[in-house]
Amino acid sequence: MHIMEGFLPPAWCLFWFLVSAPFIVYGMYQLRILMREKREALPLLAVAGAFVFVLSSLKLPSVSGSCSHPTGTGLGAILFGPCITSILGLIVLLYQAIFLAHGGLSTLGANVFSMGIAGPVLAWAIYKGGQKAGLNTYLTVFFAATLADLFTYVVTSVQLALAFPAEVGGIATSFAAFAAVFAVTQLPLSIIEGAVIALTFKYIIDVRAEILVKLGVLTDAAVGRLRGVGA
Amino acid sequence: MENILDDYAQQNALRETGTWAKLLLGGGAIAAALVSAGPLAPAFIAASMAAITVGIARIPARFYATLLTIPLSFAVLSAGVILFLSGGGETVWSMPFGGITLAFTTGSVNQAALVLSRTFAGMCALFFIALTTPMVEIFTVLRSLRLPPEFVDLAMLIYHFIFVLIGEALATRNAQEIRQGYAGFGNAVRSFSMLAGTLFVRAWEKGEELILAMDARCYDGIFPTFGGERGISRREGVAVVAYLSVCSALALLSGGIQIF
Repeated sequence: MHIMEGFLPPAWCLFWFLVSAPFIVYGMYQLRILMREKREALPLLAVAGAFVFVLSSLKLPSVSGSCSHPTGTGLGAILFGPCITSILGLIVLLYQAIFLAHGGLSTLGANVFSMGIAGPVLAWAIYKGGQKAGLNTYLTVFFAATLADLFTYVVTSVQLALAFPAEVGGIATSFAAFAAVFAVTQLPLSIIEGAVIALTFKYIIDVRAEILVKLGVLTDAAVGRLRGVGA
Repeated sequence: MENILDDYAQQNALRETGTWAKLLLGGGAIAAALVSAGPLAPAFIAASMAAITVGIARIPARFYATLLTIPLSFAVLSAGVILFLSGGGETVWSMPFGGITLAFTTGSVNQAALVLSRTFAGMCALFFIALTTPMVEIFTVLRSLRLPPEFVDLAMLIYHFIFVLIGEALATRNAQEIRQGYAGFGNAVRSFSMLAGTLFVRAWEKGEELILAMDARCYDGIFPTFGGERGISRREGVAVVAYLSVCSALALLSGGIQIF
């Protein structure tokens, strides 16, 4: 869910840019280190970024009839970790603003924070936690993607509520109102996205599992086990 | 997805105008709309930006109108929330609704009108940049802003791959559609996941091919690019300054003009 251009008052635009900045700077630093160590990282990150962009511009099968797109950043975070994903998120959001008119330039900071930082960090934490606890991989991916999507939407509602608090009841009331208005589309959307990402993960394992092993997402043993279950 | 705005940016009538001039014009208009306290200045910016985009840059009006419906749903929903939540002034209209009273006041009408007009001004200015400035020229600007070269290289490569992958995605989707892949909700979810999975694997293979190609051409960590950038010409500068002065003067002076 993108906040449109011009929607946030200038002070809040600036605030969210400042909040996102440290994450982006740290992500840039990580990117520089990664590219120095592995020369082949650049093209692979580029295809990943383009993948997130194309995935997020495809229409999901939707129940409520509204226009719904997957965010794809949950998958990015599982594959590459949250720092690099925040950089990919920044570039993708910039392109979405300029190519597709989703989001905007003055609201870029706020959108980067909700979609490129908050969601991916949660997805990554859930995936790592689930792997450590030995939960079913597909179930973990499902929850990581679904909850990252929901969290993105909650953060966006908070951003809107902070900028436009209600006269009676303040920020809490206006958060409830914004959350309720967008819940109709966002709740089913996040569940569908979770299912889609989990299935996508399965297809990648079926076709080219070695990519996931190389990225350190899964171990060889885990791939063998998952393939055994699928067969 | 078929409406990639960059296609229009490559062939609009302002294609040869300086990049900096177009970015300053659009960015300045967004800023002027944001600082305005009343809805008049943003409304003027929205109208004038639309006029410039359709009239001077020669973007088809019908296409432009369908583009504007994208932000409409978000803007109207959110402005609706603001209408009922914020307050101040006298009550204009109220209605009991399941235990609570829905009401809007003069203050909330003013606030909602401001936000709605600001969103439209912002979107029109953003569309102006999107429809007149090709991405390729923005890369030179990114470089001259001294952003990290890794970041600019990554942005350029992502840009390149977007077009490669969109082609793949459309072909796969058409193939699925003619085989009834999107008939029924369950089928649609399964087909979409298959599409996403295949797309990722294909993308990955393209990336591996690019590594080979780059190695074969002695890639050493930096993409050389042509510096096709030029500054602002006097005529462009005068036009941009004149337009932005009108916008900001209007934004500063018309703040007191409200609906109520």
